Amino acid sequence: MDFKLTDAQKAHRDEVFKVCAELDKKKPKTWVGFESQFDDEVGWAFHKLCAKEFAKRGWLALGWPKEYGGIGDMMDKVLFQEARGYYDLPGADIFGVAMLAPTLLAAGSEELKRELLPKIANAEWMFCELWSEPNAGSDLAGLTATAIRKGDEFIVNGQKTWSTGAHFADWAFGVYKSDPNAKKHHNMTFILSDMKSPGITVKSIPYMSGSHVYNEVYLDDVRMSAKYIVGQENEGWAVVNVLAGFERSNLDMVYGLVRGIEELVEFCNETKRNGRPLSQDPIVRNRIADVSSSLEAVRCLAYRVADQQNRNEMGLMDAAAVKIFASELMEKYGHLAADILGPYGQVKNSPWAKMGGTVEYTYQGCFVPIVSMGTNEIQRNIIAWYGLGLPRMK
Amino acid sequence: MDLRFTEQQEILKKSARDFLTKECPKAKVRELEHDAKGYDPVLWQKMADLGWLGFNIPEEYEGMGYSFEDLAVHVEEVGRNILPGPYLSTVVNTFAIVEAGTDEIKKELLSKISYGKCILTLAWLEENGQFDAAGITLKAAHKGNDFVLNGTKMFVDGAHVADYMIVVARTKESANHEDGVTLFVVDAKASGVKSTVIPTIAHDHLCEVVFKDVTAPAKNVLGKVDKGWETLQMIIRKGSILKAAESLGGLQSVVEMTVAYSKERVQYDRPIGAFQALQHKMADMWIAMGTSKYLLYEAAWMESNGIPNAKEASMTKAYINEAYKLVAALGVKLHGGIGTSYDHDAPLFFRRAKAADTVFGSTDYHRELVAQHIGLK
Ligand SMILES: Cc1cc2nc3c(=O)[nH]c(=O)nc-3n(C[C@H](O)[C@H](O)[C@H](O)COP(=O)(O)OP(=O)(O)OC[C@H]3O[C@@H](n4cnc5c(N)ncnc54)[C@H](O)[C@@H]3O)c2cc1C
Repeated sequence: MDFKLTDAQKAHRDEVFKVCAELDKKKPKTWVGFESQFDDEVGWAFHKLCAKEFAKRGWLALGWPKEYGGIGDMMDKVLFQEARGYYDLPGADIFGVAMLAPTLLAAGSEELKRELLPKIANAEWMFCELWSEPNAGSDLAGLTATAIRKGDEFIVNGQKTWSTGAHFADWAFGVYKSDPNAKKHHNMTFILSDMKSPGITVKSIPYMSGSHVYNEVYLDDVRMSAKYIVGQENEGWAVVNVLAGFERSNLDMVYGLVRGIEELVEFCNETKRNGRPLSQDPIVRNRIADVSSSLEAVRCLAYRVADQQNRNEMGLMDAAAVKIFASELMEKYGHLAADILGPYGQVKNSPWAKMGGTVEYTYQGCFVPIVSMGTNEIQRNIIAWYGLGLPRMK
Repeated sequence: MDLRFTEQQEILKKSARDFLTKECPKAKVRELEHDAKGYDPVLWQKMADLGWLGFNIPEEYEGMGYSFEDLAVHVEEVGRNILPGPYLSTVVNTFAIVEAGTDEIKKELLSKISYGKCILTLAWLEENGQFDAAGITLKAAHKGNDFVLNGTKMFVDGAHVADYMIVVARTKESANHEDGVTLFVVDAKASGVKSTVIPTIAHDHLCEVVFKDVTAPAKNVLGKVDKGWETLQMIIRKGSILKAAESLGGLQSVVEMTVAYSKERVQYDRPIGAFQALQHKMADMWIAMGTSKYLLYEAAWMESNGIPNAKEASMTKAYINEAYKLVAALGVKLHGGIGTSYDHDAPLFFRRAKAADTVFGSTDYHRELVAQHIGLK
């Protein structure tokens, strides 16, 4: 075993950290956390700015095969994520870069790869995910939006929900019922579509913090070209599962915690309570040390996942473990930091806030990774059933 | 021992529930979060008409003179619904006027409070965020018979709409920080007082209050000069129990709402409440509720009967702080996506649970007090 980075990897790491540190200085004042890119036009403009900078250097295609414009490998991708996460930067479209691209590489037709991968690598198209429906969340296979085939097109009708960033996205990947008579899991098709198509209405679902990140998406006789099917017609479920693996192993949020802890340590060193710095309070020391250890554990697990992905052998179980552990660590960090900040833990990004309001943001924001991408209960089922081989609920 | 509610308490509970369900639906709670005042004056007047603002005011000052225990039972019911605005602040600080105010101040304020014409709040914490006596640095300097206040207070509930504030000030420096603290009743609209609302997780209109050469006459001192820390302890003790009662009410709402939803929401062809993963969590939520209840009732009963209860009050506040946050977070998670949206009630309680935990002392602060009470040296 060897945890050491090669010289090339070290050089790459220095480079990504340098570029990200520069971009960090251009962050808008209103920026508080990992989904501020969707908050408003200012956030989105910053996302695009970062995306262009990264695209220019080929970093949105890290780990792809060379024939599709890829450079580096999965470890280089992780190092890039570490830097981006550390500085809490957008710019690598969570849906296009982190999910759809690897899915296309694994399950897309040659034609689709040739057309779409460059658009993703060059940050020309940003995507959103149209999967969940009001009555099909955890049980996604129970979805009811229909895609009826008419020649070279599908006519799509229904309601999708929770679509992150759908109010800014250029394109979407969705899954729809395409054969009402076929058996469950063999009746859906995975289709890409233009968000500007007639018949699409996007409506905000405000998050608990009040920010606009998520949306209801209504589809009313929307025409989608059959050219944009990923995988086989009526076999979209298999594609959903491939993509979900990439979705869950996406670790950006973990790396943000690295800096969060650094800032918390700084706050504790500088802030006096009861006549001594907070950093000398044994409870504070103990709790921060605990969260730091967990963070190192999940970072190592992230390296392990990248190492596996380099060999095309990512296990469902590891992806689920990372998703659960990272999201719950974020929750734990949020509670810890809020406790330490005392009455300041509740203050939103404003002149009164400590640590730029990031604590109040994380305290609520942790539910995003806990509930989305398949809830943590569902991830635990995956580990128990598929990983540990325990008897499955009937 | 008889741990049932009295008939009077049952009536108080029911009338509070019926009133708030009708007069303060959750849509209104959310609307008031973004209202400049943060409370509804019309609703406030109706509450006063029902006697809510005079529950703990003696009858001779035109209040209802109810027991502390009755008040706690009522506040629990209020918390179950959520009532935006400085209601609890007014009620808790009324105790300070009743127990430590001069006759003149009592005559001037108590009937006004009871009739809904006077909002009270406590200006205690400062920029250092400390709950102990060392945190009190706002200066009150002697000037003839009066005092002149200079400094900044933080997290003052509804200061921007309050009529009077009880200001915790330093009148003397001494090695023992508790010595030299004095409480003043200050006109919240006096010149030199500037209140600004701080944006917070619960949009509950906590303020920064800057005092610049604000005069407080000697008659407005609560209790004795330099000896205000003791009165503050009384305010914190009663406030802790009542804030915990309010939190307990919220906690119960979350448990009920979550259990009910889990019986309705269907995934994989069955109600999600059929999944053991969720059942065990709801069982834990129910345990948190039961343990919180009787801890609270014991502390309230002691307070009502003049039995020393500083330890129990701190235990109650610390315990319910954490129980409420735990239950409220589970409430969000068990609702799935819908539980994360601003328009849903689960996150409304989640945000309130966070806001509640530092009011009248954080968990860490009260646990430290408990540690002292149980003999840790
Ligand atoms: C912030 C956010 C962003 C999102 N972004 C997107 C997006 O961009 N695109 C998209 O398509 N979707 C998105 N989602 C939707 C997300 O995938 C669903 O919310 C999630 O899968 C849960 O579904 P649900 O909300 O219907 O909850 P439900 O499925 O109704 O779950 C309710 C509760 O029941 C539990 N439960 C359900 N089934 C089981 C079981 N078998 N065993 C144990 N417990 C169970 C759940 O864990 C949860 O606690 C997002 C959601 C959120 C909250």
